[in-house]
Amino acid sequence: MNIQQSMTVRGKDRYKSGVMEYKRMGYWEPNYEPKDTDVIALFRVTPQDGVDPTEACAAVAGESSTATWTVVWTDRLTAAEKYRAKCYRVDPVPNSPGSYFAYIAYDLDLFEPGSISNLTASIIGNVFGFKPLKALRLEDMRLPVAYVKTFQGPATGIVVERERLDKFGRPLLGATVKPKLGLSGRNYGRVVYEALKGGLDFTKDDENINSQPFMHWRERFLYCMEAVNRAQAATGEIKGTYLNVTAATMEDMYERAEFAHELGSNIVMIDLVIGYTAIQSMAKWARKNDMILHLHRAGHSTYTRQRSHGVSFRLIAKWMRLAGVDHIHAGTVVGKLEGDPNTTRGYYDICREDFNPMQLEHGVFFDQNWASLNKLMPVASGGIHAGQMHQLLDLLGEDVVLQFGGGTIGHPRGIQAGATANRVALEAMILARNEGRDYVHEGPEILAKAAQTCTPLREALDVWKDVTFNYESTDAPDFVPTPSMAV
Amino acid sequence: MRVTQGCFSFLPDLTDEQIAAQVQYCLDKGWAVNIEFTDDPHPRNTYWDMWGLPMFDLRDAAGIMKELADCRRVYGDRYIRISGFDSGHGWESVRISFIVNRPREEPGFRLDRSEAAGRNLRYATHSYAADRPEGERYADQ
Amino acid sequence: MTQAQEQISETPLQTIDLRHEFADLGIGDVLDQLDSELIGLKPVKTRIREIASLLLVERIRQKMALATTFPTLHMSFTGNPGTGKTTVALRMAGILHKLGFVRRGHVISVTRDDLVGQYIGHTAPKTKEILKKAMGGVLFIDEAYYLYRPENERDYGQEAIEILLQIMEAQREDLVVILAGYGDRMEKFFQSNPGFRSRIAHHIDFPDYSDGELLWIAELMLQQQNYRFSPEAREAFTRYIGIRKEQPLFSNARSIRNALDRIRLRQANRIVAKLDRTLTADDVMSIEAGDVLASRVFAKGAGEGR
Repeated sequence: MNIQQSMTVRGKDRYKSGVMEYKRMGYWEPNYEPKDTDVIALFRVTPQDGVDPTEACAAVAGESSTATWTVVWTDRLTAAEKYRAKCYRVDPVPNSPGSYFAYIAYDLDLFEPGSISNLTASIIGNVFGFKPLKALRLEDMRLPVAYVKTFQGPATGIVVERERLDKFGRPLLGATVKPKLGLSGRNYGRVVYEALKGGLDFTKDDENINSQPFMHWRERFLYCMEAVNRAQAATGEIKGTYLNVTAATMEDMYERAEFAHELGSNIVMIDLVIGYTAIQSMAKWARKNDMILHLHRAGHSTYTRQRSHGVSFRLIAKWMRLAGVDHIHAGTVVGKLEGDPNTTRGYYDICREDFNPMQLEHGVFFDQNWASLNKLMPVASGGIHAGQMHQLLDLLGEDVVLQFGGGTIGHPRGIQAGATANRVALEAMILARNEGRDYVHEGPEILAKAAQTCTPLREALDVWKDVTFNYESTDAPDFVPTPSMAV
Repeated sequence: MRVTQGCFSFLPDLTDEQIAAQVQYCLDKGWAVNIEFTDDPHPRNTYWDMWGLPMFDLRDAAGIMKELADCRRVYGDRYIRISGFDSGHGWESVRISFIVNRPREEPGFRLDRSEAAGRNLRYATHSYAADRPEGERYADQ
Repeated sequence: MTQAQEQISETPLQTIDLRHEFADLGIGDVLDQLDSELIGLKPVKTRIREIASLLLVERIRQKMALATTFPTLHMSFTGNPGTGKTTVALRMAGILHKLGFVRRGHVISVTRDDLVGQYIGHTAPKTKEILKKAMGGVLFIDEAYYLYRPENERDYGQEAIEILLQIMEAQREDLVVILAGYGDRMEKFFQSNPGFRSRIAHHIDFPDYSDGELLWIAELMLQQQNYRFSPEAREAFTRYIGIRKEQPLFSNARSIRNALDRIRLRQANRIVAKLDRTLTADDVMSIEAGDVLASRVFAKGAGEGR
């Protein structure tokens, strides 16, 4: 950037009363080298017209750490230089005039150990409403190992989840019960039974299925567990259903989770809207009760979707891995919901790898070491069907839950047939992949061949063969041009 | 009924050639391959009996196919599965598992329910095969 | 299924471009490698070329649907120690792999101890373990006759032999066994175990190296390590070869390697004995006659001559 030396005012003058530019207060330190223990944040800063970019970025550092709008003498009662966040690098965003990437380092002492709420209150607190900025987006964060180690991480993790379910070597299959609203407990359980018996591993409550007049939560839990156990006996396979325990208060959530536990469920679910503290509480509860914890990212698009303002979903993924959920919806690329292929790749890596190398083309701006924290299972859901199996396997890999809601329940010959179609398509694709076939290109043939011995699959392929969601992504990485992918 | 545990239970039973291809996939990944058998396929029966030790450091599937043939000769009336084990850091667990042999008749499971307080039910999954003593469970076949 | 077998299932071919086929498979490279890395061994190299040709034609016949059974490929390599049997086995595995007669082309090299156990029930698992590792490649059994100990009726070697014979027959497509050892002892072994003889398709005899070839080998080994004989040392080493060959436990190239190791030791000793001087590269590269002549071989030889 333009200014490459510190403008920080030092000594007595720094603390003279009055208003001083942020970049002169010590929030712009171009020579600062981040320590291994620093938290580093990358913001996309769009200053108001006429505001100096460096000053804007320094202001972000200031407002997300120690600063207020004027100089305060009480700074002198503290080791203020340590606590100041330091913006050490400002780059213009490629192909996006007027926006800048600001790299800001925060000392580890600024954060409470093991608290996402504290971390986010600092980094995305007041600063997002700061007037001199038109827009501000948190793009990525480097979480030092020293901080990662203060978090529990996923209550179960991918490996133990697979061991508990006795399911290896293929993506897990799920479906969200539809219609979302209106089914009674008894009718709801029917859908669960049919889908599980037909071949799915999981069924799922939708995000807004809690306890409503048409179905109170205990009804749902009781009928769902009857369905799970029946399906388990019918197939000899372990099954599960994500019982949504989201409720108005923490006490209500614990009550629902305890009941699910008492009934022998192996998994419960929560919504992102319950908040970070509640999520961490539930993660601790899940670890203590041998429960897999599914997170539905309800509401995230209100702040993750637009490229100019808000928080990138990759941060939500990072925070949720720290917070300790086991499943997180992370996009499908080919489905009906937002998802650029490269950005989505980045999310999946954040969930599943022990080390993420910096990869700008996937939107990953920092090396991130997860220090053996459990792996988080990504979930792909929304507008996917059996005919895309080769693409899903190629884009999303093996450690993922594929949720076919409409793609199961909408099958012309019923839910069991829909579930069977999905399972057969998946197994045929895994078999072919392991045999070394070029399954991405031969996918349609592989499916057609499998459909010869599976009528439900043939019907599914016929019904959904033309369904695609081909729209431009709103959140693609800045470093390579990438069209939205949907075939 | 058909027990649908494992990776390929929804497909027609694999031929030996297909099994060998999957085993080769495991070997090429550097995984140890294990052959296990049981006469009780209860979904929570984690520890099937091992047919020898897991096989480490093999290059070619033929050796494992020979072991499978031997295992089938002795326990052809039971469930046999093959699994690939990855000792890499962060996994140290099974990476794939699939059934390669089944009894001719699969009697399946009974779901036992007992009523508890309120409307609660306690469930138990019961293998019909386990009604008979160990070793005689598929003896009629 | 091996590549060679796969071809059968396709429509039989009518014509095949031989040069193209030969070049495609890259057997020429392996044969050239064999020529360059092993000195002498003319008859062995000729046999290998013959076998390679035979297998190439066999492969073509399979493609034309003229051959339908899988050929027996087990071999025996006979000859004294240090005559290149192991190296040739490695190249042979490469050739077999390129022609599609083994799937992976690795070599597992074993002796009796790897196959035969110490107590009841120990042998079969050991042998099977080795066989499993060798599947898809070549099992090279050195000094194979030690498997058979007629003087001990209850020797567990017999058990290993039986398993080997069975696999050599039943899983010909999965592995190739090469039995190796001294010519005369292998001959006796085959007499007592006719099952082996009938399963061996190719016998290759490895002759001892001539004196000239041994000197050539020695100079090549030195050159690889940046040493060289002075003219006097070369003359001394020629005499060394002549005497050493007549002594017991002579093992061709291996004995040469060992002798050179000791000669390098003596050279170093000689250099370090005189500390007060400046050394040139030439000094540390050169092997002098004294380094060779200090060998016990000469003392013994002279004693015998007297």
